[in-house]
Amino acid sequence: MRQFLNERLPLTEFSAHLRKPLPKHINLLFSLGSLAMFLLILQAVTGAFLAFYYSPSPEHAHNAVTYISTEVPFGAFVRGLHHWGASAMVIIVVLHLLRVVLYSSYKAPRELTWIFGVLLLLVVLGFGFTGYLLPWDEKAYWATVVGVEIASTAPGLGDFVAKVMRGGTEIGAVTLSRFYALHTIWLPWLAFGLVGVHLFFVRYYGSSGKPENTPEEMKTGKPFYPDQVFEDVVGMLILFVALAAGALFMPVPLEDVADPTNADYDPRPEWYFLFLFQLLKYFQGPFEILGTFVIPTVGMLLLLFLPFLDRSERTVLWKRPIALTVTSLCVVGIVALTILGGTSKKLETTDVAVQETTQPTEQIQGAATPETEQVDEGEAVFDFQLTEEEIENAVEVEEEQQ
Amino acid sequence: MEKRGRRSFLEIITAFIGGIISLAAGIPLIGFAISPAFKKAESKWVDLGLADRLKNSRFKKVDYTFTAKDGWVQATKKRSVYVTDVGNGEWSVFSRICSHLGCLVRWDEKQESFLCPCHGAIFDKTGAVIAGPPPEPLQKLETKVEAGILYVKET
Repeated sequence: MRQFLNERLPLTEFSAHLRKPLPKHINLLFSLGSLAMFLLILQAVTGAFLAFYYSPSPEHAHNAVTYISTEVPFGAFVRGLHHWGASAMVIIVVLHLLRVVLYSSYKAPRELTWIFGVLLLLVVLGFGFTGYLLPWDEKAYWATVVGVEIASTAPGLGDFVAKVMRGGTEIGAVTLSRFYALHTIWLPWLAFGLVGVHLFFVRYYGSSGKPENTPEEMKTGKPFYPDQVFEDVVGMLILFVALAAGALFMPVPLEDVADPTNADYDPRPEWYFLFLFQLLKYFQGPFEILGTFVIPTVGMLLLLFLPFLDRSERTVLWKRPIALTVTSLCVVGIVALTILGGTSKKLETTDVAVQETTQPTEQIQGAATPETEQVDEGEAVFDFQLTEEEIENAVEVEEEQQ
Repeated sequence: MEKRGRRSFLEIITAFIGGIISLAAGIPLIGFAISPAFKKAESKWVDLGLADRLKNSRFKKVDYTFTAKDGWVQATKKRSVYVTDVGNGEWSVFSRICSHLGCLVRWDEKQESFLCPCHGAIFDKTGAVIAGPPPEPLQKLETKVEAGILYVKET
């Protein structure tokens, strides 16, 4: 069998390529990229399986997710792996990015590797944003309402972009359908394409190693396979055990089905968007656009073009005072805003129970008394809607009077 | 030599851990995907109508609906059967689904047979295969009459 394959495929060359030595002194931080790749595959596989039981329509989505979580064997586990895997993905990708900043691995000749890596970070956040609408619960709905409204504040095309995202003027069936398409078709294709290019650059330029590596040390470390792969696989096992434990012991929450009239709900995004959620509170009135558009966009552009902005000689972060200060401020700022956003008090309102029912339809003779439904929280809800029969009666009465 | 032995060991351990992760993720995922195949179909009695109105020595086509759980949906299912009373309070109710590949058969009064429009299957009035490729007779549904209403067992 081996001979058969050897005669047809360049397996010997491939094996030699895999065994190429890495730079010396590579540590566990260099496994973060492999862990991100592992999580991307795990998300793709668990997502593909979840799609067996999911239906992207407002009438079905919430019931389908409930069905997965409560009735399908292993359903809660598979959904748990996908849910906690998404959070792990954001953490690992950000840690991977910080490792690259720490050893200034983004510098020449690896600028393109960095740019494709930052694009992948955006895709990961895109996965998060499009993914949490899919359960169609209160959190899904309201976090998406706020997210799309943020996009609408972009100058010039904001309103247009928001309409394209929603597939109309409000979040509904078309929104859910296109978020599902983005989450399961467009973004995965984009992600695997970007990963392909990113990996090509990683292999083409080789691992960056540590800044202190001499040219000789860059070629005399342990081989990628099996030494580095072994460490990567151990990391994957630890990560998988942690995710499986999360899936088994921390059930993924599913709130009530999305209700566009539920004013009692306090919208909160997923934890990885909390920093942005919190940031928006500090920019009010005409300065709103700073929080919604200017800071996120400028921040992302700076990150994307970092290799061209930081032209200093390659060295570790703590020997680069400006880079160290900026990175530390960004990390501390984002962590602090996330904590503030997560611990911010939810809105407390004093319910005003309206006892007196005003009935504008009383003026219409013949119209039935409107139904008044009292909700548990004390706030009265009025339903003045008339049945078709009642409307016909009212029209007849009016015509008779004329 | 020692280094080579260590590398072979690492290769084996790497493959072993990779296998463990694949199995730990793969078994639940496959169980998740194929579980409907192990789900027992629920059976229920569905009324076809008043037995007196259905009494007929010739086959009568009857369409009926019933509600059943379909995944996360309480769905309204439609079915079509051929009904005839064979005397002594006995009923023959045949599913119209051809036992070959699922097309709907039609009763032909002249030939006194059920004909399948897909692959030429022919069943006699007892549901037995006369011609064509079906491996089994037409499915005969279980019946009962209660309070003058004819019921069939839906599975």
